[in-house]
This record gives sequence, structure tokens and C-alpha cells, in this order.
Amino acid sequence: MRLTGVGRRYGPRGPWALRGVDLDLPASRLVRVTGGNGSGKSTLLRLVAGVDAPAEGRVTGRPARTAYVPERFPAALPFTALDYLIHLGRVRGLRGAAARDRAGEWLERLGAARHARTPLAELSKGTAQKVAVAQALLADPGLLVLDEAWTGLDTVSRAVLDHAVRERVAQGATVVFVDHDPRRLEGEADAEYAVAQGRVRPAAVPAQPRPATGRRVRIVASGGRALPPDLPGGTAVAPGQGDATVLSVPADRSDALLAALLAASWHIHRLAPAEADRNDEGDVRV
Amino acid sequence: MTALVRYHAGLLLRSQRWLAPLVLYAAVLGIGVHAGEPVLGALALTAAALLPVTAWAVRICLTQEPSAARAVVAAAGGRGRGHLAALLTGAGGAGLAGAVAVGTVVAVTDTRGVGPAAAVTAGLLGATACALVGGAVGALASRPFLKATGWSLAALVVGVLLALVAAGSPARQAVTVLTTGSGPGVLFGLLPSAAGALVLASAVAALSRWATARLE
Repeated sequence: MRLTGVGRRYGPRGPWALRGVDLDLPASRLVRVTGGNGSGKSTLLRLVAGVDAPAEGRVTGRPARTAYVPERFPAALPFTALDYLIHLGRVRGLRGAAARDRAGEWLERLGAARHARTPLAELSKGTAQKVAVAQALLADPGLLVLDEAWTGLDTVSRAVLDHAVRERVAQGATVVFVDHDPRRLEGEADAEYAVAQGRVRPAAVPAQPRPATGRRVRIVASGGRALPPDLPGGTAVAPGQGDATVLSVPADRSDALLAALLAASWHIHRLAPAEADRNDEGDVRV
Repeated sequence: MTALVRYHAGLLLRSQRWLAPLVLYAAVLGIGVHAGEPVLGALALTAAALLPVTAWAVRICLTQEPSAARAVVAAAGGRGRGHLAALLTGAGGAGLAGAVAVGTVVAVTDTRGVGPAAAVTAGLLGATACALVGGAVGALASRPFLKATGWSLAALVVGVLLALVAAGSPARQAVTVLTTGSGPGVLFGLLPSAAGALVLASAVAALSRWATARLE
């Protein structure tokens, strides 16, 4: 997906909220957007998600299934949590029964299953936010846009969302997010962009992982076919014994690498912290 | 598109905002239509009264969603398609009420000289013309064109009056044909009105759909 020369202003004579945005958002990438209040980062996210159309420039190649979690999700809709999610599932092309199953499943994962029959208007702010997150995840989006989606969630739900984001990236989705907490998914973003005064520029992000600080995980696997493209950033690949391949990856991205290998039908032989691998203790055999 | 219309219809039905325009429509017909009167005159009122009802219903459907919920649906189903679904839901709901009204009016009035089948067809054609023009007025008087409630309501009232009295309006033509016509030949007079209303409503819907992601 690409944004080419994109600008956005409100009304034909309004001031430009964003201008001259050139952005490449490939598949299987986690992209962080930073910027102060009113810098235009929410505007950028709305353009990426297709909520707003650019006043100039073009947005091309947006994945078919797009999901957006707004900064504040209003509970003022006359549906129950489950009914709302079923409607949104259907809008994304799920059939009625599948939409119901996925909706129930995500409410369960986010710990909001007991609120399935509660009208949205009666939900607490935190639970309403869970519904907003659930609607985004229930149809496996190819593009996931999160505008402060973690705000208002409890610790467990935040971890569930972190995990879901990694899962989406590993399965080939583009995830673009804004979060006020700089430690959110720290070191995992493949690219970072800073928005200031209506301009977007790449922020300094280490292209390679920092080996001095990061623990690494060593994975021995075999596939008899090519490695999947789009492995997580910082993955090192070396030939192993026989037909095995030895992969080394920063510990915080091991989930994503495992998911990518398993999705490509590779076999995992061994998985261990890179240092402990030599004495063969503490290995996890798969 | 079906899923989007279902979503908007769900919003409309559960919000109970449909009640006011429907009660207004029923009241106007209850007062204005007398059992046993000639059918075509009664159908003219049925069609004319449907115009403000449709404009109101379309405005309800376009404004009932909080903006963040609209953004979520826009990402899921497309901003323009979501807007179009709201238009279709409002116009479709009012059109349904109009069809029921036409059936009821034909049942209680005098169809001599026209015949029940021709009367129902004429009533539906007239109602279609008025509903489509009313829907166009509702769409033009709401977001994304007019966002402030005061201006929006003022434009809605003025638009409805103009649509009923302005010379070129397909709705006015349809009402005039129903009022002055007689016999089954009235159908041929109504066809151009219904076709003109369809062209007008399609153009307004396309413009509104295009503008929603750009003007807001």
C-alpha cells in the first residue's frame, strides 16, 4: 500500500492538516506513527484507513479488509455488544453464523464475554474499548489501523491486543499504530514516522536490532522449500546440519518468526535462547 | 451493501426515531383521506405527504451515527458505501411506509373509472416520484453539505416546499397528474415523473456519496 503526495484539508479552502505525504506501507510490517497533539497523526491514520479521502494525491493498494480503531469509541449506539459486532462482521463479508462465532470468540479473548448482551450505551469505557478492538480483529484484517487503541484497556486486554498485532503482522497484514506510551511494542516496529506541523517524515529507528541489549532466540527448523518472505526484522539465517536451517531472531520477535514459519508449513525442531543453546539444557523441543 | 443497509436499518429501528415521521404521515392521511372519496385525489395526497416524510427519514439515517462509529464502518465497508447505505435505508423505509399507505388508501376509497390494479400502480408511481425527490432533498440538507442542525432543518423545510411547488420538480408533476388526471391513462402521465425523480435522486446520491469523505 502506498500514499503518494497525499494532502488533506477540511473543506475546499480550509488550512492543510497534512500535506506532501509519501508513505510506503508494505505487507507484514508494523508501522509506528508519533507526533504531538494536533500534529495531524490522527488525520494520517484516517487517510490510511480510508475513513477520509485525500484532497490531493493518491492512496493505492489498500488491502481489501481494513479495520480501524478510533481514539474514542462512542457507546451511544442502540445495539448490544454482540449485535454490534455481528453487524460489523457482516459488513466485512462474514456470514451470519461465522460473524456470531468470531464476535463471541473475541469478546471472550478480551475478557468481555459476560457483556455480550449488554447494550453498548451501558458499557463502561474500558469495555466499550474492548468492543472497538474486537470489531477490528474479528475478520482478520489485511490492514489494521490503531489510534490509541490500548487506552482504556486493562493490562490483560493490552497484552491480548499486543499479541493480536504481532499475529496480524506475522500473517502478512500491515499494522499502523499510534500510542502515547513509547514502550508500546518497543523495538518491534519495522518503521517509525513522525508527524509534525502537517508533515510526515521517517523517525530514526534502528534498521538492525541492537544486539548488545537484545536477547536472541535460536530456532532450528526445516521446510524443504523457500523461507517465507517478510521475516521479522533482525532475523539471521544460517544453514544447519542436514536440511535444517538455523534462524536467530531478537527474543521479542520470536513469536512473529515462529508464526511465519508455521504459516509456511515449516517444521520446528528446536527453539532455545541463543546463549543456552550450546549446552542443550532448557531447550524446548517441538 | 446488504450488510451496511441492515446495520443502518438496525440503528433506525432501535433508535425509535422513525416513530415521529411515521406518526406525522399517518396523521396527515388520517385527516386528509376520506373513505369512499375518488381514489386519484386521495393518492395525490398520499404521494405529496410522503415527500417530507422521506426527506426527514433520510436526514435521520444520515445523522444518527456518532462520528467515531461512522469512521469504524467507513474503514470496514467504505466511506462512500456507508453513506449510500444510510441514504438507501432512509428512502427505503419511507418508501415502504408509502407502499403500505397506497394499499390502504386504494382499499378504502372509490376506484370506479380507474380500477384497483391501475390505482395501485398509479399510487406506487406517484409515491416513488415523491419519495425519490424527498430523499434527494433530505440528502442535500444533511451532512456532508450542511452539518449545523439549524441550517440543516431550515434547508429541509425550504427544500420540501420547493420540491412540492417548483415548476420543474418531478414530485410536483406527479402530484398534479394524480390530482387532475382520470382513468387508467393517468399511468402514462406518471411515468416521466417517476423517471425524472429517479435521475435526480441518483445524481444527488452520487454527489453526496462522493462528497462525504472529502467535505468532512
